[in-house]
Amino acid sequence: MAETDPTTPTTPTPNTRFVFPRWTNYVLLILVVGGAGGALYAPVLAGLGFSPKTTSVGYAPVQPVQFSHAQHAGQLGIDCRYCHIGVDKGPHSTIPPTQTCMNCHVSIKPESVKLQPVRDSWASGKPVPWQRIHDLPDFVFFNHSAHVNRGVSCVECHGRVDQMDVVAQAQPLSMGWCLDCHRQPEKRLRPLDQITNLGWRPPAGEEGNALAKQLKSEFKIRDANYMQACSTCHR
Amino acid sequence: MSQVNHHVTGPQYWRSLEQLSESPEVLAQIEKEFPGYDPEQIRGLSRRRFMKLMAASMALAGIGLTGCRRWPEETLVPQSANPEGRIPGLSEHYATVMELGGVGHGLLAVSYEGRPIKIEGNPLHPMSRVTERYGSADALAQASVLELYDPDRSRGVVQGKGQAAKAVNWQAFRAAAPTLFAGNGANVAILHEACSGPTFADLRKRFLAKFPQAKFYEYEPVSHDNERLATRLAFGQVLRPRLHLEKADVVVSLDCDFLGAHPAHTRYANDWVQRRKSADRNRSMSRVYVAESVFSITGAVADARLPLKPSRVTTLAWNLAARLGVGGAKPVGELTAEEGKFLDALAADLRSAGKNAVVAAGSHLPPETQAITMAINAALGSIGNTITFLAVPDADRPTHAEAVAQLAKQIQGGGVQTLLILGGNPAYDAPAEVEFEKLLGTVANAVHLSGYYNETSKACAWHLPKAHYLESWGDARAYDGTVSVQQPLIEPLFGGMSSIELLALLAGDDLTGGRALVRRTLEPMLGGGGGGGGGAGAEKDKAFNVVLHDGIVANTAAAAANVTAQAVAQPNIAGGDAMEVRFIADPTIYDGRFANNGWLQETPDPLSKLTWDNAAMISKIDADKLGVASGDLLTLPLNGKSLQIAAYILPGQPVGVITLPLGYGRRDGGNVGTGVGFDVYPVRTANQWSAALGGNVAKAGGTYKLATTQEHHIIDPVGFAGREARVGEKHKSGIVVRETTLAEFKQNPRSAHPHGHGDLRLQLFDPPHVVAEGGQEKAFTEPHAWGMAVDMTACIGCNACVVACVSENNIPVVGKVEVAVNREMHWIRIDRYFKGAIDDPNPEVAFQPMMCVHCENAPCEQVCPVAATVHDTEGLNTMVYNRCIGTRYCSNNCPYKVRRFNYFDWHSLDPRGGRFPAPWLDIPDTQQNKSVNPIKAMVFNPEVTVRMRGVMEKCTYCTQRIAQAKIKAKNDHLAGGRPSDVLADGEVLTACQQACPTQAIIFGNLNDRAATVTQLHKSPRAYSVLEELNTRPRTQYLAKVRNPAESLDAIPAGAGTGQAVGHGGAGGSGQHHAAGAAASTAPAASPAATKESEH
Repeated sequence: MAETDPTTPTTPTPNTRFVFPRWTNYVLLILVVGGAGGALYAPVLAGLGFSPKTTSVGYAPVQPVQFSHAQHAGQLGIDCRYCHIGVDKGPHSTIPPTQTCMNCHVSIKPESVKLQPVRDSWASGKPVPWQRIHDLPDFVFFNHSAHVNRGVSCVECHGRVDQMDVVAQAQPLSMGWCLDCHRQPEKRLRPLDQITNLGWRPPAGEEGNALAKQLKSEFKIRDANYMQACSTCHR
Repeated sequence: MSQVNHHVTGPQYWRSLEQLSESPEVLAQIEKEFPGYDPEQIRGLSRRRFMKLMAASMALAGIGLTGCRRWPEETLVPQSANPEGRIPGLSEHYATVMELGGVGHGLLAVSYEGRPIKIEGNPLHPMSRVTERYGSADALAQASVLELYDPDRSRGVVQGKGQAAKAVNWQAFRAAAPTLFAGNGANVAILHEACSGPTFADLRKRFLAKFPQAKFYEYEPVSHDNERLATRLAFGQVLRPRLHLEKADVVVSLDCDFLGAHPAHTRYANDWVQRRKSADRNRSMSRVYVAESVFSITGAVADARLPLKPSRVTTLAWNLAARLGVGGAKPVGELTAEEGKFLDALAADLRSAGKNAVVAAGSHLPPETQAITMAINAALGSIGNTITFLAVPDADRPTHAEAVAQLAKQIQGGGVQTLLILGGNPAYDAPAEVEFEKLLGTVANAVHLSGYYNETSKACAWHLPKAHYLESWGDARAYDGTVSVQQPLIEPLFGGMSSIELLALLAGDDLTGGRALVRRTLEPMLGGGGGGGGGAGAEKDKAFNVVLHDGIVANTAAAAANVTAQAVAQPNIAGGDAMEVRFIADPTIYDGRFANNGWLQETPDPLSKLTWDNAAMISKIDADKLGVASGDLLTLPLNGKSLQIAAYILPGQPVGVITLPLGYGRRDGGNVGTGVGFDVYPVRTANQWSAALGGNVAKAGGTYKLATTQEHHIIDPVGFAGREARVGEKHKSGIVVRETTLAEFKQNPRSAHPHGHGDLRLQLFDPPHVVAEGGQEKAFTEPHAWGMAVDMTACIGCNACVVACVSENNIPVVGKVEVAVNREMHWIRIDRYFKGAIDDPNPEVAFQPMMCVHCENAPCEQVCPVAATVHDTEGLNTMVYNRCIGTRYCSNNCPYKVRRFNYFDWHSLDPRGGRFPAPWLDIPDTQQNKSVNPIKAMVFNPEVTVRMRGVMEKCTYCTQRIAQAKIKAKNDHLAGGRPSDVLADGEVLTACQQACPTQAIIFGNLNDRAATVTQLHKSPRAYSVLEELNTRPRTQYLAKVRNPAESLDAIPAGAGTGQAVGHGGAGGSGQHHAAGAAASTAPAASPAATKESEH
């Protein structure tokens, strides 16, 4: 209480109101420790946040069948769309049914141990449970046919699958990464007959720029404002 | 005449009596954006404690380093063999049919990767077609897909009842069947719900061939059998009336709810609207008179409505016949002045319209009453033109009430050892005097085939799970007799069997699969290949595939019978001063079979806007007499029993009539349906099946909490004063509903609109999105600019759009407790406005579907701190869920009140769970851990995000459908399949538009000059709701046009006019003068208009 009883005589005490309390002596220490901790914490947080482990780049789960894309798509040169039939028709690049495997493997390596799960699936009618690698959040709606039919190759998102024995995620698949391309799509376009040729490179220099420009107008790809509107991907 | 500021004391259009009388609760409701929301009160959580927790969770969030791999691991499971032509991720449509009360409704079921997720109308089906492109399915049919994934559905065979009940399998039943069904079937009776399909008839024959002494009985609690008796009286044969409203200049309905409760209401609504929308084309409209003993949506959109007691409907019918000189009918009873005037007007109109008029009678009316209306139609010459009578296949069966009485007699006589009940729920819904549940106890072997283990199943020795119609083969006849095929989309989830499969099994049929059974019946009807041989078989296969594709067997509609009217004897007319009672099928859960359907429980009743419960609808006058308010319990002595039920005061409810909706108060209705509302079946006897004379209704004491949405999301005249200051005196503000009459519309097509324009320079909101740098207006120059037009002349308030939106957009069910505090999640609401004085027994109604209007100049976007709601280049006001942080500023700032907030993860919660206990404080958060029941999750539309709690949402104009259509068009265009990648008119339909039977909702591209929506926006009837705010909504409304008879203009519709409560603008002629609309064109003729200008 600030007021004192006027009836009792008082000795004048120093007005402690204007003196820092004792605990303030530790403020400097706390600031130093906190600051040092924060300085350590921030890069760790940022490092972890952007690390491939968080963005899942390089994620390569063990699949129930040891299927090698490098062998099938790379060495044997089977077109991506032989197996992933829905890719230019619908939203998904469909995982092939067991039947597709059996088209060939009924006669090629019919005894292989590695193919046992496939033969089991074919015999029982139960699907092979493939582990999902490329997984977008549920509020993002990516349509394969909209990209593949407009000159965006598989390689732009999936990397050189034709060189992968075990498929791993090649790109962060983050929103910023998507927008990079949606803002400047011309850099990623190619003629439709080269869509599944993962090794294709655009011609260098002016020729490449001209081709990009031509493809962009040929595919009727709109300006960045349209391409980055929220409703393009979020519904 | 000078237009003056008409700041009236009460609103002219109102949602509820409480709003009209400006009760403090409603004013608070308008005042607060989130009424009923007080976190401190709800949670017992102080602000300080909350801040502490939030700070702690912020600090912990980093340390937790939530998840090194972001998503749970998923597996991708392709089919082992892909069906030909199926592309996973693209939906497929299959034609099928849902049978309800013996009438098939032609549907298209949308299948996504093998699971049906949405029900739409079949455009190839004559009773569902709206345009060539799409058909309409009603609210019940659309919601039936939720029932398919109901976790409460019966999971298997149950043997024994009570304590002895045990789960067994189908083998056990198959083993027991020969003993249950033995000999010549003398002790076997079969009670089945109405099954109109030829396959059922065929199997019935086969069953009777094996068990010749067995008896079949058909029962439906909502029965139209009086119609059969009536046609027998009128024409000497059992027929089914079919209206042709598209040809009718004058429509008279005597208690016939042809737009709502009628089995053919989808067709009728579409036919009816042809002659209403013709106001635009050739300035002509039909005129609809409705005399009714309930308040139905048909009455709500009528040009002249006369609320009556049920007994007076008969009086009116005979007096009408007498006036028209039909069949020697003589006037009976005394007519009140109102009835007399009504009759004068309609008799005059009927005479002048002649064969282009039609008189429709409610199918529940006494047979004589219906018969005399048929005689009136015959006298008018309208039979064969505006009404035809169709042959029915089962003309010789007893009525449903008789059938169940005969069965009871047979059981009481000890003549039934085995009773097979196919579908239905007679223990709950049979006439009260039969006491069916007790009877069942006396039957040794009762077998119930049912989708749910319900009241009847409990009383039976055997329960068999019934397959849903989306899981099994079958067929049904549509209202016009067209044979429609029920094609399954999925294997039975819980191992059920259909009625026809069970009959085939019991009859020892050599065929067992449903498909084979249906195919066998349809074989003779299939075209192609007359005389045997392999080639003919292939032809038949082809023809069968065509039938499956179309969903109907062509040319199977019943032929119109040649009829000659016979004399009808005049009946005695019961009734007097006593209260009368009407039983009606509930508009949302029908006879109770949909009680466990959360979508339907939460759909507001079209007029009362009640959700979740039923209540005794009572007029204000009667309620005042009894001294009851809405929610007070009433005691209703009826048929020697007494019913206790909550009262609900419904403006427009006929005085002296209490309406009791059936279907509630289920004892074993599943988790959602059990114990919701009041069971009125115990007082419903076969003699008084649709209408009853009530005794002394009294206040019971005690109240019951009813959850109605009528005052939710009121578009308030936001701060009248402020707005008046902005828009100036010349302009009337706050008028949300605009309407006019045909007569005025003819003189001045813009008669619905107020005079003058507001001063749009003084704006509440800057237009950021339409003004580019340099102050130049930037138009939306993309090829597409999406917009919508909503025609209030066409809207009948039927709720089909509401359920369509719920189904399309994964909208959750929140439960009664949460609805009561304003938290329903429906993106589209149908605002029902009354117009009239507080004690006007017959107020006018206007329906206004309201959803996000996609303002170009959107108030919500201006206040969002995180830009979670922004425009896209085609003019959609997009809502980005993953950005939203749930400040709810947008909802607060939305003048249309169309935004909905996810207070919880509704999908994972039990809608009957009551208030959820302190979910913020559970650590770890139980909300996050709870996931949606995997069976329930099967109904989700995968094209639409399932929103989590803390996120705002609203109508998106079905952006997923736009995106899909655009992608398809672009793909096709690049492949050379179409000349342009711009979508043609009608290529994208919003879910609500597609469901609407009257085309009241039209969506399209405003940059396409020829598009219907663009034309409608140019219509003289078009206006923007709250245009004075300059929000530039992309949805425009078309003013309502009524076509009242001039002679009825002057009738004060009952005792009350404005002066009773001093609401200047509210009373008036009560018949047609539009809100602030007509005043300028017609000189201030009505007292109301005068009063307005004096103010």
